[in-house]
Amino acid sequence: MGAEAARPALADFVAESACFHCGERNPPSSPWRAAVDGAERRFCCPGCLAIARTIRAAGLDRFYHQRERADTTPVEPASGEALAILADSAEAGGLVTHLAGGLRETSLLIDGIRCGACVWLLESYLAGQPGVVQASVNLATHRARIRWDAQRATLAGVLGAIEAIGYRAHPYDPSRREAQMRREWRALLARTALALLAMMQVMMFALPAYTSADGIEAQHRALLEWASLVLTLPAVLYCASPFFAGAWRDVRVRKLGMDVPVAIGIGGAFVASAWSTIGNGGPVYYDSVTMFIALLSLARLFELHARRRAGEAIEAIARDLPETADRLLDPADASRTERVAACSLRLGDRIRVPAGASIAADGTVVDGRSSVEEAMLTGESWPRAKKVGDRVLAASINRESPLIVRVDAAGEATAVAALARMVEDAANRRPAIARTADRVAGHFVAALLAIAAATAAAWWYLEPARALAVTLAVLVVSCPCALSLATPATLAAAAGASARRRIFAVRSDAWETLARVTHVVFDKTGTLTKGRLSLSGVEPLAGHSRTQCVALATALEAGSAHPIAEALQRELAPARVADGIVAVPGNGVEAIVGGRPHRFGRPEWVGALHGQPVPALADAVAADAIAVALGNDTGWIAWFTFADDLRPGAATLVGELREMGLAVSLLSGDRTATVAHVAQAIGIADFRGDARPAAKLETIASLQRAGAVVAMVGDGINDAPSLARADVSLSFGSAATLTQWTADVILADDDLRGVVDSISRSRKTLRVIRQNLCWAFGYNVVAIPLAATGHLTPLAAAIGMSFSSLLVVANALRLARVAPREAASERSAV
Amino acid sequence: MEILYLLIPLSVILVFLIGAAFFWSVRSGQFDDLEGPAHRILSDDDSAI
Repeated sequence: MGAEAARPALADFVAESACFHCGERNPPSSPWRAAVDGAERRFCCPGCLAIARTIRAAGLDRFYHQRERADTTPVEPASGEALAILADSAEAGGLVTHLAGGLRETSLLIDGIRCGACVWLLESYLAGQPGVVQASVNLATHRARIRWDAQRATLAGVLGAIEAIGYRAHPYDPSRREAQMRREWRALLARTALALLAMMQVMMFALPAYTSADGIEAQHRALLEWASLVLTLPAVLYCASPFFAGAWRDVRVRKLGMDVPVAIGIGGAFVASAWSTIGNGGPVYYDSVTMFIALLSLARLFELHARRRAGEAIEAIARDLPETADRLLDPADASRTERVAACSLRLGDRIRVPAGASIAADGTVVDGRSSVEEAMLTGESWPRAKKVGDRVLAASINRESPLIVRVDAAGEATAVAALARMVEDAANRRPAIARTADRVAGHFVAALLAIAAATAAAWWYLEPARALAVTLAVLVVSCPCALSLATPATLAAAAGASARRRIFAVRSDAWETLARVTHVVFDKTGTLTKGRLSLSGVEPLAGHSRTQCVALATALEAGSAHPIAEALQRELAPARVADGIVAVPGNGVEAIVGGRPHRFGRPEWVGALHGQPVPALADAVAADAIAVALGNDTGWIAWFTFADDLRPGAATLVGELREMGLAVSLLSGDRTATVAHVAQAIGIADFRGDARPAAKLETIASLQRAGAVVAMVGDGINDAPSLARADVSLSFGSAATLTQWTADVILADDDLRGVVDSISRSRKTLRVIRQNLCWAFGYNVVAIPLAATGHLTPLAAAIGMSFSSLLVVANALRLARVAPREAASERSAV
Repeated sequence: MEILYLLIPLSVILVFLIGAAFFWSVRSGQFDDLEGPAHRILSDDDSAI
């Protein structure tokens, strides 16, 4: 408290005239006073007074010391009735999860969060509310996860408590995120395009001054300068406003980010130019200013574009879950159903899942037999037989015949939602490489500002008349154009070029990490294989030709959506007709062809039709294949094997990765025998099967502990946590959407070459970044002393800076060029 | 060279007009989806547009 007391009385003076809570001006002789934080405080309105009293009563006054500023926008307190309606609609909308023991949980989006102190206040205050079990608030996303006891608290009460301390909470609805992303995109796109337009025109106006040998007439120069000023002003005020806002934010939290010198550079150069133009004479830098704004905005636009694609993938996960479900009106009667929103399903409801539809909730089969495809969740590529009493998971697809499912968990409580949360947690724990970069940049900026200040002071002492020009020259010449452009311009060029190859880096630091990768870990399902069955072999047993056997099997499987039926249909066998097709889940199909009963399915079941023993070749079937028998009442007809095909180029890929000096391993949730077979086929020595998500995580973590930089190429939703854990992750565009959310790099072309391509491209990118940084560093080492000693005029400095930036951008643009060999292969691929 | 006094302000005004037109098109959502329309022309279902 000693330090607090010794502080100048400024805070107290401010407290007299401004509201202690929100910082608004107080009305004269404000009647709203309270003793908070050890002194009498005044408030602007009864709302702020009530909030401060609430905070005081909860013993959380420390908030007022910890917060960074006092401009929390006061919220209009909502009436209790409005809160009750909000809470009810959240309940009805399925935004509230029912947990065991009468606990409820919901996600809230909270308006008015400004800084870490807000998070602390919200968490401590909510945790102190009766009935609230847990409250965690995320500063970055402004999301809160609240868990409370339904016996002792209500959602309306929780919302009211949040309002009482001056924030507003909305039960979280993912579509708000989409709207926010769209706003951000539109604003940045408009800013970038307008900055580019201004840059183009200002460059044109600047050209005469650069190109004419003996200078241009003064009145023409003035005209061009004024025109440039008129064009640059909106670019600075509108297009560059995010940089100023960012710099202001950095300054306020006493931290030096790259936005600070950018803002000083833009602001300083513009003010100096405008000063010259309005009649004081001197150099102008409008061209540099607009170019700087345009290029920086462009770099940010590319980054946002990639992020937006990822955001769309997040929205898409909601689409994987069906929005509606057919609920039985009477649990005993399967014929009458009502269509309800999937989120309004309750525990114990019974739903009917037609064949081919995806299941809306986690549950237990109470009637029917079918096979269910869970590839998205478990990584198992073929459907599993489900009978009464088996558990089914939301988002898996019912393949064969209708099922009646008793709901065990719906909405946020489903396994899919739990996986999503796991991903979110893992993603939050990602080591922040960006923070390190920021810190380094901060040191550079601090040093730069110190040099500029020292220069100004020295020249002010030696020759006050030249102090401004020299200081400006230092700021402009070092105006970390080259330095701050070196990385974003290169990344933007790389992103642009890879986007043409349909490779999207979602996180801007992905390239950097990708270039340092030492281990590539593959997931088998759908990554190295096509993720769909195909007919790998037919063994006719009764003298029929292969085509005849396939035609017969195709006829039996007609109309089925089972992967085996799809594989047969791709064989395009001549049509035959089967009558009275009956699908027997878990066994196969039975039908009448040519007057005789035929069965196609599990060998034992087919054998039961004619009573002959299963032939010995059943043992010869490869480990990764499914054996299916065809027979009629007189005996075996044929033996089919189906396998999950390797993707074309899988073996080449592994070879190329080895050549690049990378260790390759295979980590899959599939049966070990299957995984071993695939690993052998493509030449991976290090493999592991039957790996559950937790085991995958552990394997990656142990690799990382041994010093490896791990790139994970993943696919199914069950890979999502390990994708988040890996240093960098790649995922195919066709893969389950949740993994796209976590993946750092998305290979939208569904082509394995993208893996090698993105790694080699990232290495190239890092090389160019290093070249650019070296150049920028060398340039600054030479130019700053020259400028500081007064050997550079601001004009020369501006030319030097522009030249330096152009060189950096040109170097970066080398990456944007698609090499002729690549272009040719692209054409041949098409 | 007096024509410059007409042409240069004119060019500035033109830039502002183009800028305003672009700003409007962004605001009205024409740039929200940069990939969808390219695929949409390939879809046979005209009603989807």
